[in-house]
Amino acid sequence: MIRGRSTSVFLSLPWVITLLAFWLFPLLYSLAIGFTDLQLLRKSFEWVGFANYSELLSDPDFLSALSNTFIFVAGTIPFTTVIALFLALLVNRKFPGRGLFRAGYFMPSITSMVVIALIFTNLLQRGGYVATLASMVGLTPPEHGFLLDSSTALFSIMGMDVWMSVGYYMLIFLAGLKAIPDELYEAAEVSGAGKIRQFWSITLPLLRPTALFVLVINSIKSFQVFIEIFVMTKGKFDTSTVVYFLYEEGLSSQFRFGYASAAAYLLFVIIAGFSVLQFVLMRRKGPVW
Amino acid sequence: MRVWILRLMAVSMLLLTTGVSAETTIEWWQFWTDATIKPVIEEMVEEFEAQNPDIKVKLTDLTWSNGHEKIVVALSSGSGPDVLELGSDWIAQFADNGHLADISDGISDTRNDFDGWSMSTYRGGVYGHPWILGTRVVYLNRTLLSQTPFGADHLPITMVDLLTAAMAIDSLGDDTYGWGSNAAEKHRLYKKFLPFFWSNNAQLFTDDGELCVMTSGPGIDALIFYELLHDSCGYVANQRRIEDAFLDGKIGIILSGDWLLKRIELEKHNIDFATTLFPGRNGPGKSFMGGEFLAVNEASDHKAEAVKFIKFITSPENQVKFCKANRSANPSSREAQANEYFKNSLHLQTFISQLKLAKHPPVDPNWVHVEQYIEEAVEAVLFEDITAGEALYRSRVKIDELRQQ
Repeated sequence: MIRGRSTSVFLSLPWVITLLAFWLFPLLYSLAIGFTDLQLLRKSFEWVGFANYSELLSDPDFLSALSNTFIFVAGTIPFTTVIALFLALLVNRKFPGRGLFRAGYFMPSITSMVVIALIFTNLLQRGGYVATLASMVGLTPPEHGFLLDSSTALFSIMGMDVWMSVGYYMLIFLAGLKAIPDELYEAAEVSGAGKIRQFWSITLPLLRPTALFVLVINSIKSFQVFIEIFVMTKGKFDTSTVVYFLYEEGLSSQFRFGYASAAAYLLFVIIAGFSVLQFVLMRRKGPVW
Repeated sequence: MRVWILRLMAVSMLLLTTGVSAETTIEWWQFWTDATIKPVIEEMVEEFEAQNPDIKVKLTDLTWSNGHEKIVVALSSGSGPDVLELGSDWIAQFADNGHLADISDGISDTRNDFDGWSMSTYRGGVYGHPWILGTRVVYLNRTLLSQTPFGADHLPITMVDLLTAAMAIDSLGDDTYGWGSNAAEKHRLYKKFLPFFWSNNAQLFTDDGELCVMTSGPGIDALIFYELLHDSCGYVANQRRIEDAFLDGKIGIILSGDWLLKRIELEKHNIDFATTLFPGRNGPGKSFMGGEFLAVNEASDHKAEAVKFIKFITSPENQVKFCKANRSANPSSREAQANEYFKNSLHLQTFISQLKLAKHPPVDPNWVHVEQYIEEAVEAVLFEDITAGEALYRSRVKIDELRQQ
């Protein structure tokens, strides 16, 4: 028994060491340097307590990035979730070419984010397809393109993000739908319940764990939005987000590791709080929608 | 027998060890990786090693996208290469923090043979050897110009000339623009605006560098002029897209560097274009100057060998070789500048002439922040309808605060 236990410990050592060295240690180290004024290139640094955190809360660039991040989260998650659920319900039905639709909707999720961002940069530029379409339906597109205007840049990126993400969440909802026993629908039909009644009374309640998973995963991903911003606008035109801000502060030109770490932990607290809130709301009895 | 074998092994080990210790290996981090130039870099390294059998060079490639980060991390951790290629904007930042070696003594014999030292001189020390310099000139689409009253041969000499020519081209059609106006691109926009600023006799700082004076009348006028150019005939995009549109015949006039000449040649673009000096108020103006420098890591144990290697790479012959392969227009070596290769090309001559009229930003460790504030002022005017005076004032306040820290 003892030999068996020591063998288990020995065999799990590579994973444990990797976890400690490349996950836990960096996490704790970055937490610690968030309380220092560590800046790369400088040869010394000092303990500054909560100074980085208080500076962040009065830094207009950080507050603007935080506000944009909340707009991004609040503006994408409802659309992504509802559209993904709608698509999942559609492709869950039996019809010819169903596999093609499923694959088609899922395709953007397995395409490189950078590639998608570059394609959308072209679509959204002045004289691009989106501007042409907008003109055709009587709308006036921004003079220099959708990404070079503060009133449209962030919303354009949000639209792209919704388009790109729905396929992945559709697949998760589809798995949730498959797990609902057919007997429940049969019993409902026998009881005279229509399709809409079945959706509200059977499908939606039983999809609650799936929906919770989708919401939490999607929220975490949306709070961490970065690549789209980096490729499409470089944080200009009111599109800077918290992760882009900490990239700028920590890795781009300023190399303020201490300050950037503090920003990262502030974001961590926000995401954790948001996730806990979602768990609490979704686990409450009774409908939450 | 066994004793003899052991003795033989000991002597062999001694000889091997002696041989290894006599050879020094220096490491060079550089950014030139594309197929047109990398073989030349490797050839130069091999030639250096052949001439200096006691020195080996380990070549490491960096990319433009993350090379800066790698250098920062390496130097901060006290490691890094012996020789590193640095953009002129970075030198003061690294030197100020004690990461670069002062090479004044090593280059004293050849100092007068090169241009560009002012960009690597910081607090009396020299922290980088100028290698390939760079400036920007005005590119004109002659086909579009020929359709205007100015004609294909028109070369704007003053800023007003530039504006009127750009507006004339802009009026040719809905999908034709007069001027390529940069946006949403860090580290680029200020390089486009400062030539207008300097050419209008404005200064960022007083001569002693103590005071920020960017809100002077000429400075505000320069930004108003830039806004006028942007609003009346600007095609707004990042530099790559502006160049794409110029090559597609959509933009009449742009400001760009020698890399565009390389692109036109290698991609075989069929465009009738001219290059000319950046215009000023009453004649040629001041364009932006930067460059690639070779620096020695302060932590290097082989500084003498590193300087020797740098002097070899930056020799006039090697600069010409490099420029021919990379189609670069501005070697730092004066002897290289006089080479027939540059004299035979009108476009390269434009760049060499422009470099003599170009200006570089102050050698300031805080420059990365200052350039950001300049870009914020320009963007505020172009995209947020804030007046030039207000935008420059806001940026000046930030620069003053930064310099007080």
